[in-house]
Amino acid sequence: MPELTALEQQLIRLAADVQWPDTPALIPAVGRRITERRRRWFESRWAMAAAVAILALAALIAYSPTRDTIAHWFDLHTRFQQLPQLVPLTPQPPGPLGKRLGLGDATTLQAARAGVTWNVLLPSLLGRPDEVYLQLLPLGPPGGVVTLVYAARPGIRTSHQTGVSVLVTEARGSVNKDFFGKILGPGTTIDEVSVGGHSGFWIAGAPHEFFLVDANGNIRDETLRLATNTLLIDEGGTIVRIEGDLTKDQALQIAASLS
Amino acid sequence: MEGRPTDDGELFARAQRGEVAAYEEIVHRYQQVAFRTAYVITGSAADAEDAAQEGFVKAYRALASFRAGADPRPWLLRIVANEARNRVRSTGRRHQLELRLAEGFRPGGAAPSPEAAALAADERRRLIGLVNELSEEDRLVIASRYFLELSGEETAMALNIQEGTVKSRLSRALARLRERVEESARA
Repeated sequence: MPELTALEQQLIRLAADVQWPDTPALIPAVGRRITERRRRWFESRWAMAAAVAILALAALIAYSPTRDTIAHWFDLHTRFQQLPQLVPLTPQPPGPLGKRLGLGDATTLQAARAGVTWNVLLPSLLGRPDEVYLQLLPLGPPGGVVTLVYAARPGIRTSHQTGVSVLVTEARGSVNKDFFGKILGPGTTIDEVSVGGHSGFWIAGAPHEFFLVDANGNIRDETLRLATNTLLIDEGGTIVRIEGDLTKDQALQIAASLS
Repeated sequence: MEGRPTDDGELFARAQRGEVAAYEEIVHRYQQVAFRTAYVITGSAADAEDAAQEGFVKAYRALASFRAGADPRPWLLRIVANEARNRVRSTGRRHQLELRLAEGFRPGGAAPSPEAAALAADERRRLIGLVNELSEEDRLVIASRYFLELSGEETAMALNIQEGTVKSRLSRALARLRERVEESARA
């Protein structure tokens, strides 16, 4: 370090006598500003407005009629949505198979056919159903829904979810993304299929809940039925849903036998 | 060890993890030199306070860019000095920095005779007056280097010039001051 000149030594001595303005206390202001900045994001009017809008939208979507309307506006009639975890199954009440599943009123095939204006299809591969259920408005969709319950069938495992071998549910509508929806759990897959020229979807994997969009365009929750593997087929205006512990091939063969 | 001051590196590491209290300790340590540096640049206590406050806030936001292990003082002073210069530019005014001397002697200094005290006081006032008469460029570099006791690197940061320029500018400023001191002595 070069030797300091006499002038430099004078200046250094002078430094101690320089009168500076009092140093202001910066900590309170700086501390307030850096913490305010953190809060501001959450407390901003825009964030609050966004939160209110999201809550309002959630409320509208949660309410079925407005959800249907919103879906109609955006032409979003089907939502395939992954859920992180499905609701655990609850024990089914005792009684006839269909009663446990809340399929509607027990009836006969003949009465069911008479109760609706459309043709109820039967899968010949499964033979005559063990139970038949009919559900009409206001609980069922417009035009009603008919469910065929099949107890044990050779080569088909009895579902530990539904207690039956196969459920075939039919209602007016069509099987495409405009009329059927399904909530999918983790590990559930969906494949587009075709049976006898009719389009459909094969949904395999974890148990799931259905909600259908009926022929009038209204979304209807099908929360009483906890399906296993499911095949959805559009049979010329009739929605046919085949549920059970079925392989894809089994389900397609059953669908192919509908008449 | 209890009572041992936390070193700057640890404080900065904690502040970088979002610990506000650690950053407030950093502000506490450096607020005086930051404020005085800003004062030298702006020549106004009010502007210096604003610049120092804004500088510390900006430094907090830029903590992620601070390299671990580096000397924080030049880094902080550069941010505060930039803010001070921005303030001068945006307001379009630069106050004339006028350095003053504190009245009386430093605590601990030996009590001089009244005559010696008067003579020493006159010499100090004369010297500070001559510094104040220098150009702004000369005054800033002398004030930074000798009165603020900034290092060459810190002076370069504060004045936004190269460290080599600090040396040459300081050398010229001292030469001009020496001339004035000699002229004053002859007068």
